[in-house]
Amino acid sequence: MSDAVRGGARRGRLPDLLAYAALMALLGALLWRGATGLGYDWQWHRVLRYLGAWHEGGFVPGTLLRGTVVTLQLVGAAFVLTVAFGLAAALLARGPSSVGRWLARGYVEVVRNTPLLIQVYLVYFALGPLLGLDRFWAAVLALALFEGAFAAEVFRAGLDGVERGQWEAAAMLSLSPRDTYAHVVLPQAVQLVLPPLVNLAVALVKHSAIVSVIAVAELTTAGRNAVSETFLAFEIWFAVAGIYLVLITAMSAGARALEARMRRGVR
Amino acid sequence: MSADAPGRAVSADAPGRAVSAHAPRRRGWRPSWLDLLLLALVAAAAGVVAWRIEHHLNYRFRWDSVPGFLVRQDAATGRWVPNLLLAGLLTTLRLTFWASLLAGAVGLVVGLMSASGRLLPRLLARTYVESIRNVPNLVFLFVFYYFVSAQLMPALGIEAWARAASPATREAIAWLAGPPALLGNFAAGVLCLAMLEAAYVAEIVRAGIQAVPRGQWEAAATVGLSRTATLRDVVLPQAVGRVLPPLAGQFISLVKDSSLVSIISIQELTFIANEVTVSTGRVFEVWLTAAALYFLPCLALSLAFRRWERRARRGASHPS
Repeated sequence: MSDAVRGGARRGRLPDLLAYAALMALLGALLWRGATGLGYDWQWHRVLRYLGAWHEGGFVPGTLLRGTVVTLQLVGAAFVLTVAFGLAAALLARGPSSVGRWLARGYVEVVRNTPLLIQVYLVYFALGPLLGLDRFWAAVLALALFEGAFAAEVFRAGLDGVERGQWEAAAMLSLSPRDTYAHVVLPQAVQLVLPPLVNLAVALVKHSAIVSVIAVAELTTAGRNAVSETFLAFEIWFAVAGIYLVLITAMSAGARALEARMRRGVR
Repeated sequence: MSADAPGRAVSADAPGRAVSAHAPRRRGWRPSWLDLLLLALVAAAAGVVAWRIEHHLNYRFRWDSVPGFLVRQDAATGRWVPNLLLAGLLTTLRLTFWASLLAGAVGLVVGLMSASGRLLPRLLARTYVESIRNVPNLVFLFVFYYFVSAQLMPALGIEAWARAASPATREAIAWLAGPPALLGNFAAGVLCLAMLEAAYVAEIVRAGIQAVPRGQWEAAATVGLSRTATLRDVVLPQAVGRVLPPLAGQFISLVKDSSLVSIISIQELTFIANEVTVSTGRVFEVWLTAAALYFLPCLALSLAFRRWERRARRGASHPS
């Protein structure tokens, strides 16, 4: 953070930057040489085909890009359900019904204390045939159930973040609980809730990779298929990781910008 | 809790509460209309599920097969020993134990580097942490596992060493890391998980160090402490209290994340559960049992950590 306080040697930044570049180059060279030494034949040009190609004047997306689109569809659908589950759990958890509180608590504890992978298997293999869900919707449901438990916490924090005085003022005006929520609390809570919700969407992109275990045709599945077709393990996985990195960094930058704007708006 | 105020305000107005007041249940619990509605919904959902299982899937539950997946009687000694799923859980716990030690050590170093005053260590640490945190864990595991299995494991020669070890060593290995024949597989899993988790530990350590107020650094500089001495004697002791609760949470995450390595064929609980469902077809029983085997230790840990944290906070707010 503050270099002056930390009392580190106050040198220029250039030597450090150069040393960093040199170390990274060394690491890359080691990886390259190590793999080549084991008979690995780097063929980066073959990865391009999986991203897309120009065909008769039009761009035809390859399997990796098509997988990226499915990942985004998956995340979009799961996010809507995540918000629904999270809001339901948060409202039940602070509501008047003790059954509701136990349901909400049980839901959050079960989701948080079991691996997402097991949840995906349970939803796909057990719930899927029960409810007649196909792979895609089983994946959406599993991801949304998982992320919803974290969304519940986001909504709880948002509702708690609205000051007590606001509740008391609403009670003074003898607003009904419903009107208090609709006109006083929720509009204020939205500002507190929106930035962490965008972060949840980012987490959804990250977690969506796991549904490749049930062969939903998203980015990671596309990567696995491409690897088994070509045996270009390193190239394909680096390309897949690169696509996720771009997606996630862009979304987190958006979340930060939103957060900064909200903070300016509140004060 | 501040949550009480609005919660009570709402419940006081809830319709139907006054009506049900003259129908007291045990310990004064009076179900409101919402309670009854929710109970009805849960019962309806359970009914639909049971009906679909019975008539639609034609699935017959065989819960009596589950104990056999958990324990078996050793034919030679007649003792009860853990069978498939319980042995998988043991592997999961061993995996978690070693991976958490390694992740703690690597994470501490990387965390210190990213809180460093110098640019180079900070850049290196950020590169490591951000490239892991911004890529799905599963994709990291695929990339890293190819590297580990193709280059690192043959170079280390763990498998050959375990094969040539003396009986006493092999027994020690079996106790610490599971079957010696699978040691290479186990070590690859530990390494992959630890490198993954170390990035998250590093973030916790960095946040803990940076949460120590600047004044502490300035005061230490005033009394003429070196940077290392400041870190060791002033900052780290204060950071420990801030770092421990999130570290405990991260440990639970590690137990859960360890299920990911089933995909790179490390034979822990999830991997074995998958095999058992494929070979027996007992989908519901096995996956529910596996979920319970993760749930019980994780819930116990998180309840214990929460209680411990609450006690620590109470202790901190009442200095004697």
